[in-house]
Amino acid sequence: MTLTDHASGPLSSQPAGPAARAVDLVKTYGKGGAAVHALAGLSIEFAEAEFTAIMGPSGSGKSTLMHCMAGLDSPTSGHVYIGDQAVDALDDTGLTKLRRDRLGFVFQSFNLVPTLTAAENITLPADLAGHTVDPAWFDFLVDQLAIRDRLTHRPTELSGGQQQRVACARALINRPDLIFADEPTGNLDSKSSGEMLAFLRRSVSEFGQTIAMVTHDPRGAAYADRVVFLADGAIVGELASPTADSILEQMKLLGT
Amino acid sequence: MWKATLKGLLAHKLRLALTAVAIVIGVTFVSGTFVLTDTLHTTFTTLFNGIYQHVDFEVRGKAAFTGQSGTAVRNPIPQSVGQTVSRVPGVEDAVGGVQGFAQLVAPDGKSVNTNGAPTLGVSFNPVSQMAALHLRSGTPPTTPHDVVIDAATATKYHFHIGDRVRVLFTGPPQTFTLTGIVRFGTANNLAGATIAAFDLPTAQTLFNRVGQYDAIDVLAKPGVNLAQLQRSIAQVLPHNVEVVTGQTVANENVNTINQAFLGFFSTALLVFAFISLFVGSFTIFNTFSIIVGQRTRELAMLRILGASRRQIFRSVLAEAAVVGLVASVVGLALGVLAAVGLEALLNAFNFGLPSGGLVFETRTVIVGLVVGIGVTVVSAVSPARRAVRIPPVAALSDHDVSATESSRRRVVVGSALGILGVVGLAVGLTAPAIQLVGLGAVGIFIAIGMLAPLVARPMASVIGRPLAAMFAMAGKLGRENSMRSPRRTAQTAAALMVGLALVSTIAVFGASLSRSATSSIDQAISANYIIISSSAAGGGNGEISASTTSAAGRVPGVTAASTVYTGQFLFRGSLSNLTAISANRLGQTIILRMDGGTGAPALAAGQLLVDTTTANSDHLTVGTSVPVKFAYTGNSHMRVGGIYKPNSLLGSYLVSDQFYRTHFDNPLPIAVLVRTTTGATPASTRAITAGLRAYPNLKIQTQAQFKQTQQKQVNQLLGLVYVLLLLAVLIALIGIVNTLMLSVFERTHEIGLLRAVGMRRRQIKAMIRSEAVILSVFGAVIGIVVGTGLGVALAESLKQQGITDIVVPGSNLVVFLIIAALLGLAAASWPARRAAKLDVLAAIASE
Repeated sequence: MTLTDHASGPLSSQPAGPAARAVDLVKTYGKGGAAVHALAGLSIEFAEAEFTAIMGPSGSGKSTLMHCMAGLDSPTSGHVYIGDQAVDALDDTGLTKLRRDRLGFVFQSFNLVPTLTAAENITLPADLAGHTVDPAWFDFLVDQLAIRDRLTHRPTELSGGQQQRVACARALINRPDLIFADEPTGNLDSKSSGEMLAFLRRSVSEFGQTIAMVTHDPRGAAYADRVVFLADGAIVGELASPTADSILEQMKLLGT
Repeated sequence: MWKATLKGLLAHKLRLALTAVAIVIGVTFVSGTFVLTDTLHTTFTTLFNGIYQHVDFEVRGKAAFTGQSGTAVRNPIPQSVGQTVSRVPGVEDAVGGVQGFAQLVAPDGKSVNTNGAPTLGVSFNPVSQMAALHLRSGTPPTTPHDVVIDAATATKYHFHIGDRVRVLFTGPPQTFTLTGIVRFGTANNLAGATIAAFDLPTAQTLFNRVGQYDAIDVLAKPGVNLAQLQRSIAQVLPHNVEVVTGQTVANENVNTINQAFLGFFSTALLVFAFISLFVGSFTIFNTFSIIVGQRTRELAMLRILGASRRQIFRSVLAEAAVVGLVASVVGLALGVLAAVGLEALLNAFNFGLPSGGLVFETRTVIVGLVVGIGVTVVSAVSPARRAVRIPPVAALSDHDVSATESSRRRVVVGSALGILGVVGLAVGLTAPAIQLVGLGAVGIFIAIGMLAPLVARPMASVIGRPLAAMFAMAGKLGRENSMRSPRRTAQTAAALMVGLALVSTIAVFGASLSRSATSSIDQAISANYIIISSSAAGGGNGEISASTTSAAGRVPGVTAASTVYTGQFLFRGSLSNLTAISANRLGQTIILRMDGGTGAPALAAGQLLVDTTTANSDHLTVGTSVPVKFAYTGNSHMRVGGIYKPNSLLGSYLVSDQFYRTHFDNPLPIAVLVRTTTGATPASTRAITAGLRAYPNLKIQTQAQFKQTQQKQVNQLLGLVYVLLLLAVLIALIGIVNTLMLSVFERTHEIGLLRAVGMRRRQIKAMIRSEAVILSVFGAVIGIVVGTGLGVALAESLKQQGITDIVVPGSNLVVFLIIAALLGLAAASWPARRAAKLDVLAAIASE
């Protein structure tokens, strides 16, 4: 089995154009004088097979952007498209199907279902959709993430790194158009972090996965193809082919 | 998704098992009731079919009218009909028989009591294969001095063949020689009834049936067309006599037993099944609400991963369905055991049931499963709907964003439901329609469950204040915890609220019933002594010999002895209860407060007295002539001679004993009222007892003793109801245990912290216990208030039926409150131990 066998997997049915984009997103909490603009007319595109890191201080709108992009939260105004599907046009059922079939998630707190084994957690999105899991793809992910010997274990019996790798496999199992990763290494030690980021990197470069990752960590962001800097709900800078140093440089420049 | 559901179930198995107890108990009641009644029904059907197996037809008097217990009132038929029938071509044999009241006196001189079952005297048919009674040992009765009795009575009271046996009749007691022991078909006796059988001429004399039969059993010649024969027999019968098949009689007997006994029995048990399921549904609702609350993050995560609302909804309901299924299966099994136990219990009370296998019908299984699963799933619908409303983003935010139903909507729906409930109850009580009363009460309970969160915080604060004072910091924290989530506090207490509301309703109703009974005695009876059958004293409808009155009248010092009869007649076409008393020296035994006409003179003139309520509702005045019908004498008219103030003891219609005796066949008194010159003194009691020594079946009571007996009967009944309601309270307590366990689990970190900063184990326990006491007292207070209201409403609505006094037994209600608090304390012991045992370090580390 080689990586190229799977390179066509998640992308084969995709139309041309960005994997996802947001247009003039505004998200306001509260009213009048007390109103807080979490997003202030932000527009962004996530190209196919691109690894984007989103950085910014607390309250810059990173998480809000991601929640709106994933249809978990609705923007006050503006539009979100996954492929050419307008997210705001979807009802709850449509959003559910969108998340189930076209999006993947990896979170800081690993968010595994505690009563299910690792294997069951991985296949959960497919089970929910009533899809059968491609056994070759499952085996491939399990081997790539080195969790084969942990498959029958419950989350409480796994280390943090192992849990996050299970979550990662779960995000990839349905071959989503786009994976949202929210500080995926926030709760991991540096070794596990490195392994996790390396895997995400490889899934982008070797089989064309599109990933949007929110992070605080310049070293983590350096694994991305580009870094987008946010402050006060707007994009304040962008960096292509970043390194840890160039990111730090940029951060200093932006005073964040 | 199913996998996630099942795994979720296993993860919560302890708390779900606790929840399921309520369903188990409810289904146990349902299936136990069905199994027992089906078994008894089959047993009786087999028994009667066996008895009437060889009886092709029965010739008997046509039903004059159908009495209250569904049994037809029939008149005897002339003996000559027997010869007429036996001459019909195709008739092999026609055997006439009679029956009447015959109560045995045991060898120790006491009467044989049956707890209300009949004490039957019958004629013995020695030859015919149609005979219901079969000689087990000894010889049949052949002379006027012979008697045979049923095997069960002989065994229980140690009667032996050759013994001298005294028997009480309508007339004077007589002594016989026991010549044989009989069985009733295949059974040793018939559902607790005792049987004394005599030869036909003796029985006819004893039961006032000289020249008459009650029924004639007919055996057809082999090979005769039965339908044709029935028509031939019918042609020769006089007017008012009918011929029916033996099967019809067997079916009638089974139906009578069903209606008189099994019907009441199963209704009572099913009501308690309903109550335990209803209380249980609050516990289930609460448990599932908490489970959904705890799993908010997990459920939101499933939503992010693509679980649809429907999948979440179904998964919660599926969890409920599995719990309901398991509980129902356990309940069904326990129900069978309960039925076996109850059957043994009935036999222990000398019920003499013929043995037969347990009847476990498919219907029992289906109803048990449907009810058990249905109640669980329906109770989980609301928590499942809440689970569906959890937004996916709840998985990601740090603070708790679990979906909450707006309290405004709850108040609106709760208030509406409450108003509907009160209206339903009011309409149901006045109609009266018992189903509407039940629905109304259910509506009120649910409404209170919905509205209780509004008062939970302030009430918990007030109830907790003395605890906070007593246990310092521990009590204060317990109080704070109970105030923390008013909704959870209210939901947890709701089940106990329902349980105590029912208990209080019964307490108020019972106290009112008891007081009304004694006050109606005060208002209606001027006699010093009330003599009834000792069978009746046990709650049955025992009769006494008519000769008792004259015997009592001969006792020195007795100035008046009045016979009391009760029977049924048709008053303007509707079945009514008639009371008869001696018009002679009426005032010495009975107090009649007249609203019009006269009392004793009207009675003596053979006129009818009615009470004011009846007079008003039927627009009767003194002098009105009304159509009546008696089973024995047929249609006639009676003149209303007087109108008296209502009294539950006297009933609504009154005639003289003389009138009664001429219009009823073989009338048997239910009581004799006696007035003495000296009042109720030990000396006069001794004199009356001595004068009535021949009648050991009598219970001679002074008026005061009679009142006590009446109260005791009410209290015994209440005791039984309390025991069954205790189950509901226990289910409610399981709910409290459940909630406290969950609270302890949720607050592991917090409890660890408290321990870390120096709280001792004992203080932790005191904290949990305080919370439990607050919860249970909160539920109890609301329950007692609501129950008192319901009890007053119930008693008020039965004013016409004789509940004249409404009593709120304050001390009882306070005792209930204290018991509830103590039970709450008991419920806390396990969670408190669990909390106290938490490892401090592990507790702090967890999160």
